[in-house]
Amino acid sequence: MMNNAAVDAVVDGLKKAGVNFISLMPDSDFSGLQKRVVDDLGFTYVPVSNEAIGVGVCVGAWLSGKRPALLVPTSGLLVAAWPLTSLCMAWNLPLLLLIPYRGDIGDAFWLMGPYKDTTEPLLKVLNAPYSVISKNEEISKAIIDAQGSTISWQRPVAVLLTGETIK
Amino acid sequence: MKRFDCLKSLAAILDPEAIVVANVGPISREWNALRPSDANLLQVNLGLCAAVGLGIAVSLPHRQVVMLDGDGNLLLNLASLADLGSQDLAHIIHIVLDNESYEGGGGLRSATAGKADLAAIARGAGIPNATVATTLEEFETAARRGLDHPGHFFIVAKVEQGSVAKLPTLTIDGKEGKYRFARYIEATEGIEILRPRYTHI
Repeated sequence: MMNNAAVDAVVDGLKKAGVNFISLMPDSDFSGLQKRVVDDLGFTYVPVSNEAIGVGVCVGAWLSGKRPALLVPTSGLLVAAWPLTSLCMAWNLPLLLLIPYRGDIGDAFWLMGPYKDTTEPLLKVLNAPYSVISKNEEISKAIIDAQGSTISWQRPVAVLLTGETIK
Repeated sequence: MKRFDCLKSLAAILDPEAIVVANVGPISREWNALRPSDANLLQVNLGLCAAVGLGIAVSLPHRQVVMLDGDGNLLLNLASLADLGSQDLAHIIHIVLDNESYEGGGGLRSATAGKADLAAIARGAGIPNATVATTLEEFETAARRGLDHPGHFFIVAKVEQGSVAKLPTLTIDGKEGKYRFARYIEATEGIEILRPRYTHI
C-alpha cells in the first residue's frame, strides 16, 4: 500500500502538474490516495467499475479540457490495455497513468509475481513510456515530467511506483 | 423502426452545439450524414462510447451530451451504466440503437434478442428515466422529453438491422476527429486543450 509520505508526494506532483481530474477503480494499493482525492475539491473524482472504463472516462475528460490522471493497479493495466490500444494508440491520445508497481522484485505476495512479467513489457507494446520510481522524494517531479510528456507527445506516459513508495 | 429514421428525427430537434458521442460502425456513418459537425465525436471503439461520454458529461456538466450507442457495444462494457448512474448528470441522453444483433459481425443475435432488458438494467444501475421505444413516435417523444428536461435519460430504440443505400463514407479517422472535437470545445468553451510544449516544464 502507498505510504503517507508517498501519498503526499503524489498529490503534490499531481497539483503541480495541473492534474484536476482523477479516475480509479477503488483498490487497496491506493486507498490512502483515494481518500485524499475524494476530499480534495481541486480534483474532479470519477470512480469506475473497471480500468477500461477509466481510460474512456479520462479520454472524454481530456477532450473536454480537463487534465486527467488514471490510477491503475498492475492487474488493472491488463484490463486497460484494450482502450489504451483502441483509443489512445489509435487516436494518439494522452493519458497520465500512475501505477503502484505490485509484482516488482521485493513484492513477496506470490499472486503478484506474474505482473513482473506483464507490466513493463505491456507498457512498451502500448507505446507508453514510463519511469520507475522507488523513492518518495522522486515522485513529484516524475509526475510533473510525465504529465508534460503525455500532453506534448499525445500518447500515454506512466509512472510506476515501487520500493519505499509502496511499503 | 429504422435506425436512420430515429437519428433523422433526433437531428431535427437537437441543438447544433449539443455534443454527440457515437460508437464506431454504421451509427457514426449515419449520424455524420445527418449532422456533420465538429461537435460530434464519432467512431468511438466498441464498448467505450458510454465511458467516453461519461468523461465528457462530468467535465462539461452544462453542455447537452448525447451518446449514440449500440446494444452489442454497451453489452461489452455494461458496468459503464453503473458508473453513469452513480453520477448526477443533468444534461445527458444515452440512446441505445438496439438491433438485437451484432450487425457488423454478420448479424448474429445479441443478448437483447433474448432476455436481456437494457432499460431494466439501466434502472437498476441508478438511471430511473429509462424507456424503450418501439415506434418512431415513441422515440421522438422520449428524445424530446430528454432534451426539454434536465436529467439523465436512457432510451432503448428497438430498430431493424440494416442501413440506408449510398451512405457517405467517413473520410476522417480518430486522430483528425480528436483534433476537430478538441478545437471545437476550445472555441465554444473558451479554454485551451491542445498545446504542444516547446520547453521542459
